[in-house]
Amino acid sequence: MFLALRELKFSKLRYFLIGFIMILIAWLVFIISGLANGLSSDNASALQNMKADHFVIQPDAENKLNRSQITDEQWKEIQKQTSIHASAPLGLKILSVTKMGTKDKMDITIFATDASGILAPIVVEGNQFNNTTKQEIVVDQSLKQEGIQLGDWIQDPETEQKWKVVGFTEGQTFSHSPVIFMNLKDWESLIHTNPQQKKIYYSAIALQIENNQVANLKNEVKDMDVITKDEALQNIPGYKEEQGSLNMMIAFLFVIASFVQAVFFYVITLQKTNQFGVLKAIGAKTSYLARSLIGQVILLTIVAILLSIGFTYGTQQILPASVPFKIETETFILFSGLLLVVSVLGSLLSLYRIAKVDAVEAIGRAE
Amino acid sequence: MREKLIFEEVSKIYGEGDTEVKALDRVSFHINEGEFVAIVGPSGSGKSTLLSIAGVLLSPSKGRLLLDNKDITTLSSKEMTNLRLEKIGFVFQSSNLVPFLTVRDQLLLVAELAQKRSKVADYKADTLLERLGLSHRRNHYPENLSGGERQRVAIARAWMNDPEIILADEPTASLDSKRGRDVVEMLAEGVKSRGKAAIMVTHDERVLDLCDRVLTIKDGRLLEMNSTQKTNLKASYSNNFIS
Repeated sequence: MFLALRELKFSKLRYFLIGFIMILIAWLVFIISGLANGLSSDNASALQNMKADHFVIQPDAENKLNRSQITDEQWKEIQKQTSIHASAPLGLKILSVTKMGTKDKMDITIFATDASGILAPIVVEGNQFNNTTKQEIVVDQSLKQEGIQLGDWIQDPETEQKWKVVGFTEGQTFSHSPVIFMNLKDWESLIHTNPQQKKIYYSAIALQIENNQVANLKNEVKDMDVITKDEALQNIPGYKEEQGSLNMMIAFLFVIASFVQAVFFYVITLQKTNQFGVLKAIGAKTSYLARSLIGQVILLTIVAILLSIGFTYGTQQILPASVPFKIETETFILFSGLLLVVSVLGSLLSLYRIAKVDAVEAIGRAE
Repeated sequence: MREKLIFEEVSKIYGEGDTEVKALDRVSFHINEGEFVAIVGPSGSGKSTLLSIAGVLLSPSKGRLLLDNKDITTLSSKEMTNLRLEKIGFVFQSSNLVPFLTVRDQLLLVAELAQKRSKVADYKADTLLERLGLSHRRNHYPENLSGGERQRVAIARAWMNDPEIILADEPTASLDSKRGRDVVEMLAEGVKSRGKAAIMVTHDERVLDLCDRVLTIKDGRLLEMNSTQKTNLKASYSNNFIS
């Protein structure tokens, strides 16, 4: 590092400029990943926070929970399976509802489930609903922003069903809409509002099951499909598209970071070809010069990453609360590691140049 | 007298077949301890090739090469690098100092490359700078030095690894005659006082009187200048200097 550090000190401006670009890129990577995380949880926190790891759904539903129908008989059949630790039926419906007395519509997602089962929400304000109550619901607290309070009634204008808000829960959204939890009785009455629908059905069965027993279960249940929570997540309407476009931006930023550094160090290396010749002539090994360059790249990248992490926390403070932004330490560690790797990969081009410099070029040549 | 460097029938051939070029043709000479030898010749005569082979930057195609009584004709590139680091000091045209190192760091770099950085190296660097009258410049960067100062730093750097032989490639090329002469005097003084040897490739006839011997190279063949010619040269230089 003898050469590396002294060069950084001497050519401050030059390295400051490339460092600044690296900071901006890393900063943008972290902001986008924060947004991706935020949107992902805004979109699907109800699934992410669910204490289930697999779902049983209808095979033709294309892994979409909202398209699937599981009959009551099938549910009973599943309950008999011994390999399942716990299970609960889930009725899912996306509706546009109004607060009673007003006309403003809002999109919500109904999660109907066994109030004493694994899918029951944790109430943070008000009361829990149970399996015997009628027309009582627990809703995500983001509905407070729509003016919903405890004791308010919510109505579905199409079916003319209405429910009373008895409690609030948190972190329960599905497809960017707040979730309202109700028991299976209310679910049944909601389904029967459609005169053609005589029999009760559920959208899916949530399971807690060991990964290695999934295959067994798949063989045992007929006309049903078992999918993982992640598969269900990816198939929430809009989820894959949203995350996909953000992840593509992040991927591009990694490529850009790699190329920007590669070009910068390559040009500097070309400029120093003569100098490398002299250094090799006086006895510097290629490996020594290579270590020096990689040292510079790593040092520069680490400083840029640390500063941009700081800036990202600053950004989080400035962003309004309505912007879904969520920082996760694992993502920071993963992306920092990746940035470091692509930076070092980018410097390989320069290393090749350094290796090719011949010490004999130092003789018989004026600067 | 001990021989520091011996060339025995050394040839260097570039290319093959029809495109074959003989840069050096059966060159033989030896340089003794304490001897300062100049090599002169027109451009393209093979001076640079000779210096590159003496400096273990190139391997000879034919012949035998001995440095400090060791056969160094066939070495791997790694062995060549180590040998340069330990036994050879270079002074290049227009100094070729590392632009981002201070004068003192230029010297310490040699110790760093040899993995011998220590108090001893620091002391050695300071002593060398003192001897070459550069102590007040130790924390300056090359861009702030005059041409003569830069060449003196290059000489100090060349002595840093305590080499057996110093190879200078036109060290006076970018200097005026007064400064050029100072630099060559310093080189000569170092060679004598340390009992080492030096080869200097030069175009500059005004400094040849400072050398013990002058070898002339032409089309890859070596001709040693006889003493009469050298006396003439010396005389002509003195005349120029007085007038």
